[in-house]
This record gives sequence, C-alpha cells and structure tokens, in this order.
Amino acid sequence: MSGRALKIAFAIMLAAVIGTGGYVFVLKQKEEEQARRIAYTQPVSPPAAGPVERVPLYIAYDFEGVLRPRDVQMALPGEPSQRARAVLHALLTEYTGDPSPHKLAPGADVRAVFLVSDNLAVVDTNATFADGHRSGVFVETLTVASVVKTLAANLPGVRRVKILVEGKERETLAGHADLMTFYDVGRIDELMTQLE
Amino acid sequence: MRWSSAVRSRPAALTTAILAVLLLTAPSAEDKRVSIYTASAAYSLPVVDRDGQQYVSLLEALEPLGKLNARLDGNTWKLRFNQIDAEFKPGKNEGRVRGAKVRMEGPLFFENNRGLIPLASLPTLLARFLNVEVKSHPAARRLFVGNVATHFRSEVRNDALVVTFTAPVNPVISTEPGKLRMTFLREPVISDNEVIKFDGAPASSLSYVESNGRAELTVTGSVPLMATFANGGRTIRVAAAPGPAAQVTAPTFPAVAPAAQQPVPELQPGSPVAVLPSPPSTTTFPSPPAYLVVLDASHGGEERGAALAADLAEKDVTLALARQLRNELQQRGIATMMLRDGDLTLTAEQRAAMTSSAHPALFISIHAGSSGPAVRIFTAMLESSDAIPAAFLRWDSAQSAFTSASRVAAGEVQKRLAAKDVPSQVLSAAIRPLNNIAAAAFAIEVGPPKAKPESLLAADYQQQLASAVATAVINLRPRIAEAR
Repeated sequence: MSGRALKIAFAIMLAAVIGTGGYVFVLKQKEEEQARRIAYTQPVSPPAAGPVERVPLYIAYDFEGVLRPRDVQMALPGEPSQRARAVLHALLTEYTGDPSPHKLAPGADVRAVFLVSDNLAVVDTNATFADGHRSGVFVETLTVASVVKTLAANLPGVRRVKILVEGKERETLAGHADLMTFYDVGRIDELMTQLE
Repeated sequence: MRWSSAVRSRPAALTTAILAVLLLTAPSAEDKRVSIYTASAAYSLPVVDRDGQQYVSLLEALEPLGKLNARLDGNTWKLRFNQIDAEFKPGKNEGRVRGAKVRMEGPLFFENNRGLIPLASLPTLLARFLNVEVKSHPAARRLFVGNVATHFRSEVRNDALVVTFTAPVNPVISTEPGKLRMTFLREPVISDNEVIKFDGAPASSLSYVESNGRAELTVTGSVPLMATFANGGRTIRVAAAPGPAAQVTAPTFPAVAPAAQQPVPELQPGSPVAVLPSPPSTTTFPSPPAYLVVLDASHGGEERGAALAADLAEKDVTLALARQLRNELQQRGIATMMLRDGDLTLTAEQRAAMTSSAHPALFISIHAGSSGPAVRIFTAMLESSDAIPAAFLRWDSAQSAFTSASRVAAGEVQKRLAAKDVPSQVLSAAIRPLNNIAAAAFAIEVGPPKAKPESLLAADYQQQLASAVATAVINLRPRIAEAR
C-alpha cells in the first residue's frame, strides 16, 4: 500500500472514531434531556374521573417511628392500575410537602402500577423517588412499608409488591432497603406490629 | 524527502497519541492495594497516586492496630496512637513521631481529614509507631510487621502435592484446566523460590508470585486438580480431581437426620445457592472455630452509605464500631472475623459468600443512621421456616431456616442495651445480605446519642454499645450452640 493510501486510510479511521464519539455524546445528551423532561412533566395530580371515595393511606412518621393509617377523601379512576397509582401519588404527596412527617425529595412520584396477577403488584417509581431518598435502614424501610401497606389496603387482593425505579430493578432504595425482593404484605403487617 | 517522511509519520503519531490518551483515561482493571500483616491483624488498604508517587492513608494504616486520635491543629496534623504522639504538616516531607524527626519520600497530602503519606515511607513510620521491625516487599506492596511471615514447604507424596504451611491459611482457590491457583489475600505467605519443579504426578510445578498486596501459588499439572485442607488449615493437598463417577457425594448438613430424609427446597434455574458445611468424611476443610462471630461493617470504599454529616460517612462509623466490637469480643475470648477492616468496597454477594464460607455461629451487620437516639436491631423480613436446613438453601432465603435463632439473638442484644440504658427496638427489614446468611444474623443501626451525628464517633458511646452487644453474644453462646 502506498504512503498516500495509508494516509487516507488513517484519516478515514480517525474521522470515523471522532464521528462515532460525537454521535454517542449527542445521543447521551438527548437521552438525559428526555429523562429530565419526563421528570418535570409528571402530572401534578393524576387524572381522576370517579366519585369521591374514602382512601386509607398508611403514613410513616419519622419522629415517632411508626406507620399510622389516615383516611383521605379523593376522586379515583375506575381502572384498578390507575386507581393504585392515584392512591400512591396521594401518599407520596404527603411526604414531598412541607412540613412532612417523612420527608421525600420534591418530585418523588409513582410512574405506574402494574397489577401483574391476582396478588402481585409492581410499582414503578421515578428516579427522584430513589435518587433523592435519605439513606438509612429505618427510613428506607418506613418508605417501603408505607407504599406496600397503602397499596394492599386499597387493593385487598394484593399480597406481594415489587418496586422498580424508572422501569428497572435496582439493588436498594438508597443503600439499604432491598428492592430486588418481593415484599410480602404479611411481613409488612408484622413490621407494623413491631413498630407499635 | 525529510518533509515526506515527517508527513508519513504524522498519522501514526496521532493514532498512537489517541490510543495513549484512551489507555490513560480508561479505568484501571484493578485498584492498587497494599497489604499489612501484623500479629494481631492482616488488612489491605487502597493506594492512590499523587504527584507520580504512590500514597496511602496513615490513619487507615494505624487504625486496626490500636487507639488512634487525629486532629488538625492550625497547620499541623496531630496524631495520638496508643499514647504515642506524632505530628505532620501538609505539604512537608518531614514529621515527628515520638518526638524524633522522620523524613518522608514525599510531602504529606491532607484530604478529607486524612493524611496521605508516600507508600515508600509507610514501613519507616510503622516501625517508629510500633517499635518493631517492618519488612517491606515494595514491588508487591506487602508489609510484614514483626516476625509474621508464613513459610511453606512442598513435597509429592502418595500421588498428591502436599503443601505444608507454618500457620493456618485459607486461600481463595480457583482452577482452570491443568492449573490450580491459591490466592492468599490475608495471609503473609512468602517464598524464596519462584518455581519449584516436581517429577512425580499429578503436579509438575509450583510457582509463587506476589503482586498488589497478595501472594499466589499456582500448581501446574497435566490433569484437572483439586485441593483439600487438613491439619487445621496448615496443610493443603493437591491431587488429581476425581472423575464424574466419583463425584456423587452431595454435601449434607451435619444434622441428626440423614440427608436422604431431608426435604430439598426447589431450586429455580440459575438460582445461586448457599452451600452448608460438608461432612468431614468426604473432604477435610479447615474447621472453623466452634463459636465464630462475623462482623460486617456495612458499606465501604466507593459506597459511602448515609451521609451522616457534611464530612461524616456511614462507612467510617460502621468500621470504627465494628473494630470496637471486635476488641470487646476478643477480650471475652470470642473468635471474630471482620468482612472488611479497611476502606474496602464489597458487594452484598461478596459479604454473604465470605460469611457462608466461614461457617459462623452469628453474623452481625453494623449500620449507622442520623435519626436517633434509638438503636434499632433488624432481623430478616422472611417467614420463619421450621424445616431442618437441607444440603442446599435458596440464596435469596437462606436465612429463613435461622430466623428464630436470629430473633432470639436480636432480643438478647436489646436486653443488654436496656441494661446500659440504651433504648432499642427489634424490627424486621429487608436489607442485604441478611437474607443470604445461613446462620443466626441481625443488623444493628445505631443512632447518635445526642443531636449531633458526630457523637456517633464518641469513644464512650461506641464502647457502651460494643460492650452491650459483646455481653449479649456471650449470653447467646449456649443457645446458639444448642441450635446448631
């Protein structure tokens, strides 16, 4: 191969490397921008199109270290998955406000709830829910227990709950509470008894 | 002609430069570490590069060896280690230990409240602090404090290579076709010979290398090899691995009922399993102490845990408390094993695997939180199983056979804390790796006694907690031994 051909080959390879790098960078930027946009465009309150109902929420109180039921009145959609999401949204709104009995990061929310089978619900939370969560065995356990118990109280068939973050499995909520596991409602009931 | 040559070499030079940049910016395959072996502890620390030299944290090098206090007083970093005073100035090559001047190979870097010293100066400083001879293997980054080295001799006997060590060892063993590798992470194994050749089968050679804070022995043979332990871990016998027909003996739990009568839980495809101890009749493993307590200082390395204060990470509190608890237990004659004794990153799986292979009586995971003042003791959030543990347990629910024992242990700790006026609560939680531990296990999350998270590091508070837990561990001994 002549020297000129070598130079051209090198130039093409170099251009390809730089071009690919640039393309990957642009894709990454777009992806991050899209994620940001999704995070900011979560509805402030979920659409409700049903009669106003009594909804039990299980609220975590950090100071007392307990989980207590509290009834709120709200309109709920008829479809069970949307109902579940609306209930959990209401629960997390209790935590993201100020003052809060169990502070969660502003913007923490539930993206969707999937009722997979008769007794299994999968809760898909947004990144803020996990990324902005305080780290600690107790605080993380309270959050998980509050979500699981509230869901089970409003969808009586649900006995097991799995929590995802942005549609994916994550090892822990904020370094402690195991998110790879399926939470059994019976075990959460036991925890509530221990907390009393 | 000269111009033409220069132009021709430019693309090659450019490509080389790009490759060099890529290579330099790529993450290193393995972090640099230094291992320090002493009569009381063996531990490994991360090594960082500063100004083209290797540096290590002096605090972390001294912490496992005694009581240590450090503070920045103006521009002077003052240390007190076991009644020995020392001081260093950031940016200076000189310091003082026991009042005498010490010259270092490079300046002290002060970062995150820790003084980094050149690794090359660590042997000198350790020798000054400890007043013992420190031998260094600088290329391998291994330091031997005092006369701690473990030597070995090897011989071929009865179709096996028998390696006998001067002290018990517990290497990580891996195999590949025709090779068996023993990696010594905590043992001060040394050798004067790099390669020892053998005439007899099954091994043709035994080679020794040491690098990055560890030693490695590799046995080369012409057939697949396997290792068995004997003599309390002092002897490793390497022989040809048996053929498939000979590998029919499944490990069984040393329980009263025969294995054939045990229900074996259904295993999901791909599920990892926690292996329980195998009977001594088939293979001889180093027998663990009858009552071993594994201490897991949670988090570590890149995983800092909760940010308890602006400059206080959970990983530092848990390590300090684990060390305090180790001291309390050792003073009471209880054998302990710490999963990490430095700023190490360990996954939950690694913690569970290390624990399972040690076959402890009790596993204690230590956490720290900023919400206090209560101490919370957690057992696994699993349904209790009354079934006698089978040969294999499901990885994600290995703890279920031990939940009763774990709750008894947690209750005893609560009682001992109450005796010292420390309020506590026993709860269940799904935290890793509790579910994977095949032994009585609990996690303890300590809160600050005062409003300030920094009070978690107060020596009297840590001593109070560690003493209560250690007393509970002593009281639990007959009950756990009976359950086992």
